[in-house]
Amino acid sequence: MTSVVHNLINYRELIAALAKKNIVVRYKQAYLGLLWAVIKPVMLMLIFTLVKSFVGIETGDIPYPILTFAALMPWIFFQESAAEGVNSITSNTALIKKIYFPREVFPLTAMVTKLVELAIGFLILAALMIYYQMLPTLQALWVPLIIFYTMLVALTISLFGSALNVYYRDVAQALPVLLSLAMYASPVIYPLSLVKTKLIDEQAAGEWSNILYTIYNINPLAGIIDSFQKCLLQGLAPDFGSLLPGFIATIVLLPLSYLYFKKAENWFADII
Amino acid sequence: MPPIIEVKHLTKEYSLGTLTSAKDTLRHTLAKLRGKNTWHRENFKALDDINFSVEKGEVIGIIGHNGAGKSTLLKHLANITKPTSGEVIVRGSVAPLIEVGAGINPELTGRENIFLNGAILGIPKKTIHEKVDDIIEFSELEKFIDTPVKRYSSGMQVKLGFAIATSMDAEILIIDEVLAVGDLAFQRKCFNRMEELIHQQGRTVLLVSHNIRQVERMCSRVILLNQGKIIRDGDSHSTCDHFYQLNNKTISDQQQNNATARITSSGEVNIEQVDILDENNQPTESITEGSTLKIRIRFTSEKALIKPEFHVGTHTTDFIYLTGESTALLQEDFEFPAGSHEIEQHIENYPLVPGSYGIRAAVIDQQGCVLFHGESLKFFNIIAKTDDAPLQDELRLVATNVSWKGLTP
Repeated sequence: MTSVVHNLINYRELIAALAKKNIVVRYKQAYLGLLWAVIKPVMLMLIFTLVKSFVGIETGDIPYPILTFAALMPWIFFQESAAEGVNSITSNTALIKKIYFPREVFPLTAMVTKLVELAIGFLILAALMIYYQMLPTLQALWVPLIIFYTMLVALTISLFGSALNVYYRDVAQALPVLLSLAMYASPVIYPLSLVKTKLIDEQAAGEWSNILYTIYNINPLAGIIDSFQKCLLQGLAPDFGSLLPGFIATIVLLPLSYLYFKKAENWFADII
Repeated sequence: MPPIIEVKHLTKEYSLGTLTSAKDTLRHTLAKLRGKNTWHRENFKALDDINFSVEKGEVIGIIGHNGAGKSTLLKHLANITKPTSGEVIVRGSVAPLIEVGAGINPELTGRENIFLNGAILGIPKKTIHEKVDDIIEFSELEKFIDTPVKRYSSGMQVKLGFAIATSMDAEILIIDEVLAVGDLAFQRKCFNRMEELIHQQGRTVLLVSHNIRQVERMCSRVILLNQGKIIRDGDSHSTCDHFYQLNNKTISDQQQNNATARITSSGEVNIEQVDILDENNQPTESITEGSTLKIRIRFTSEKALIKPEFHVGTHTTDFIYLTGESTALLQEDFEFPAGSHEIEQHIENYPLVPGSYGIRAAVIDQQGCVLFHGESLKFFNIIAKTDDAPLQDELRLVATNVSWKGLTP
């Protein structure tokens, strides 16, 4: 694992150059340019807000649009980093067959590219906060750490997925489907507090309630989204209880995913 | 000091056929669990027990036919793929110029591509900043450098790729077929740049090329690969020459196997056999450069031939007629009764350079009617006199005796 960090430092210029290329290539001939990066969360926010007005979701004292936008930011960052990461090896066939550098540069680059788009999301969030007259507190300092943790989660999926995708292209086909399902299992449309109230306070599933709540939180995005909202919008510290199960899962799976990637890496140029 | 590159028992196998579907994989795995192996994928040895080492500062050429394993070998040295068995030790930084322009992105401008490719090749940003003007100047693209590469002509793209690739500093340079780029003037420039790179600071260079002349000129040592094995590893001259002979043999073998003789015949005369004879008048496949070429033709005739004209000549494998002499010029009158006969043509000091050549022959009757005409009736090789002879090149066909004079007017 230390070698990932090592590579990140050694190859930072390459990662930066490739990420810049990704962004330039994507938006070069587009009139709206980088604005396209935020169209997706903004549209989803509007749709969710519309739906919410029919079904009624309890969101406490935070206005729903900004709450769901703050959920969509880490979610879309995670979803797209993972999806692009999984494709990143197979879409760079020419480079893989011609030049050697550590192959994890590709999934890392996919993530850095998405980080730039996330940064633009923050501008929209800031605008929303001004509109709703909300001020960030010192707790907002947790945000970089939360994003870093989100990157680790995305890497867990993209390292394993991108390596497997070299052998079986099914992976890149299946992942978007799975991820769009996973959105409903994450507190994006609804807040985590709703799940917590139902399971912990009301014990809605009987004796299984506490276990179910822990299982729900094994999805690292549950804790991530909740903490992101808490730190930025509510001025609260992260809820470590909901972060813990997912964190343990990530800490166990990330090294395995990395090991698989490094093992498979040797044959990329032959198989791809 | 240990050698900068060491290759020990390097073997690389590829599975033939395609990767199977998940269903098949599952089936094979289940079968394996039951102790049966249903996995029948044929293996192909791209490299077979390769051993060599390279000292710092050596300039080594790697030659061989298509599919001999040259590029696979370079891929191992550049760490792009890993051996099936054996070991590759590289003690130094490697700059792989494996294909010019691998990292060029068509959407970016020339200048942006210089920076992107620099990063891909591991050149620090600072160094590229220093070199960017040189690179642009070398590529001759000053006017177009801020235009997206997708609007470049293919020649311009190649020029850009070459200019970037050769701007990097590394202890080991790996070059695969990159010199044949652009128009002649630019090729010349590339060639000079390569020589400059090679002779600079005692760099170690591995050069793969089909241009044997170039390899012979640039390299001090050449490795000849054939079907994944090293069949010769030695000084560039003798190895290149060996390769030529091998090449000629392959061509003539192919020609002979394919039996590509092109024959038109009236049916009255048929050529049965064509032989090339050595000094002892024994049939042979090859003669030495500059010796007498003896062609013996056995033919059968249905009827008596009175004053026929025989026309016998040689041609290259791509049907350029080289020699062609006719008996019509002779005052002698041949007469052959019906039956089997032989004629011989001797060419003293057959002047052609080493290579593979074909025989053509025609028989024409008294009235000027062509009774038989055939090309590629037989192939033979001209081989170099000695291993030390100047290497034959593609730029000449005929060897002549010349004398030189140096004058200062």
